[in-house]
Amino acid sequence: MSPAVAVRHPLSLRVGVAAGLAVLVAALALYPLVGSGYGVRSTLQVFAWIALAGSWNLISGLTGYVSFGHVAFFGIGAYTGAILITQHDWPWPLAAPAGGLAGAALALLIGWPCLRLKGPYFAIAMLGLNEVLRALVSYFEGLTGGGSGLSLPTLDATRPIYYAMGLLAALVVAVTYLIVTSRFGLRLMTIREDEVAAEAMGIDTFRHKLYAFLLSAVGPGVAGALTARDQGYIEPISVFPLATTVTMIVMVLFGGKGTVWGPVLGAVVLFVAQEMVWARYPYVHPMLFGAIIVAVVLVMPRGVLGLLQTRYRLPRTI
Amino acid sequence: MSVAITPVMLGQVVVSGILAGSLYALVALGLALIFGVMRVINIAHGPLLMLGAYTTYFLTTGLGLNPFLTLPVSMTLMFLVGALLQRTLVFRVVDAPELSSLLLTFGISIALVNLAQLLFTSDLRAVEYITGAWVVGPLAFSKSRVIAFGFAAAVTALAFLFLQKTRLGKAIRATSQSREVAMVCGIDVQRVHLITFGLASALAAAGGSLLAVIVAIQPEMGQVWTFKSFLVIVLGGAGNYPGALLGGLLLGLVEQLASLFLTTQLSEVVAYVLLVLVLLVRPTGLLGGRQV
Repeated sequence: MSPAVAVRHPLSLRVGVAAGLAVLVAALALYPLVGSGYGVRSTLQVFAWIALAGSWNLISGLTGYVSFGHVAFFGIGAYTGAILITQHDWPWPLAAPAGGLAGAALALLIGWPCLRLKGPYFAIAMLGLNEVLRALVSYFEGLTGGGSGLSLPTLDATRPIYYAMGLLAALVVAVTYLIVTSRFGLRLMTIREDEVAAEAMGIDTFRHKLYAFLLSAVGPGVAGALTARDQGYIEPISVFPLATTVTMIVMVLFGGKGTVWGPVLGAVVLFVAQEMVWARYPYVHPMLFGAIIVAVVLVMPRGVLGLLQTRYRLPRTI
Repeated sequence: MSVAITPVMLGQVVVSGILAGSLYALVALGLALIFGVMRVINIAHGPLLMLGAYTTYFLTTGLGLNPFLTLPVSMTLMFLVGALLQRTLVFRVVDAPELSSLLLTFGISIALVNLAQLLFTSDLRAVEYITGAWVVGPLAFSKSRVIAFGFAAAVTALAFLFLQKTRLGKAIRATSQSREVAMVCGIDVQRVHLITFGLASALAAAGGSLLAVIVAIQPEMGQVWTFKSFLVIVLGGAGNYPGALLGGLLLGLVEQLASLFLTTQLSEVVAYVLLVLVLLVRPTGLLGGRQV
């Protein structure tokens, strides 16, 4: 197991990492000025996947409580954002945080009854949540447009949304880093390793799980609202697809669950692979993802980064 | 929305609820068995049901068999598929943290649904067998559902008889009570796991075959059944096999009752609210039992 105390690494290494990150951020910030439309759009999507995968990692990677319906928070964020923009004339930079709040509110509603109990109750409740929301969205047609969806007023905001989504992705990674290096994070990981022991040590497990879950719902909510604004049109099928949850799970498992950079690695690698190779074989796409999940669980349960961490004794905070 | 509820309507709710509930009970018993014996929630339970439904569809349309006679075939086939899944994949995660088994069976479930989409396409298919209803006094009994109820009750009864009376059934129950003690008593636990997984998949397949004459068949029909089966287990109390019967009937009744007040569009919402309420009020199930 990785050491619980942060190991101090040589100054040069830390300066190097910080410098590398600064260069990366600067390059990504300047990219829209020179990049092609396709490139900017793809990078925007990578940002969204980093935010989504990183958020799933907060609850499932850190506490071990599997969320099979995380796309629900993306969807509710998208609808909240779209409704506020179209029916109440909110500007999108305000509607986006509102989407995050809506995600957290839904998480409170589900987490309150389901996280009190141990075991798979939570996983199954999240599995059912998606269908429920889709049914509700179709039912409340007046508000949501039902099956015919909602169209947002046209607005060319790809560039500002690129920055907003990039900021969101960076925030999710930063929050993960802060949690993993904090006592709060250690407690979450204790729950994952042995919940009974965690309780015996005096950790209020319910409260900790609930906080992690609420945090994990904010990112997808904001990403949903931003995506709704960016795409200009949403409908139940486009914002509640099971495939989105599957993709989040695959990215985190592949990269390394419970790590800071694993979800980022998974999001970038799988997005590129998806664009380059698998887009040509859309029909077997889910099967491939199913196979990756099975293979990672059986062969490489800690993901690529977890494997590197153990092999090269890298710090846990990577 | 105000609806005047008459006694006849309530009678119809009870009839339809019990007819639907028998299928819930049958399918949920399979999920309960795997959970009881291995502590694994099989997310792929619903997709196995879907494969059972397709087996019936192809045997009926291809060979002209009576759909109800395809039951033994689809059950045997899915017994083998289930046993194969257990033997190759699931047995590796039986003792792992539940995160592993949940994710593994989730991966299997996605792969099975996608496989069905590739092989059978996403077209809706139906087995035309019996339509219409028997009318007894003011109550209507859908013919296909009544026959399906009869078969579901028979298969469930056989499964209970097997668990209660045969040596193998006793071995399964013993393993479910305590794996260590069962092992000490000379029970081959690996073999019990294999047979339990096969049997559970066969029960899911039986549910799928019976559903084939009632609803449209498509690759994604199964997933909601994993959820509903789990709800039935929670209602009845985990690890309590007769509780699954009660839970199944209860779910059927509640859904039918709700359909008096709400559109059928919201039937899944009703099931969901029911799950959340039971978890809040009585997480050990109505009959009592272990917590999952």
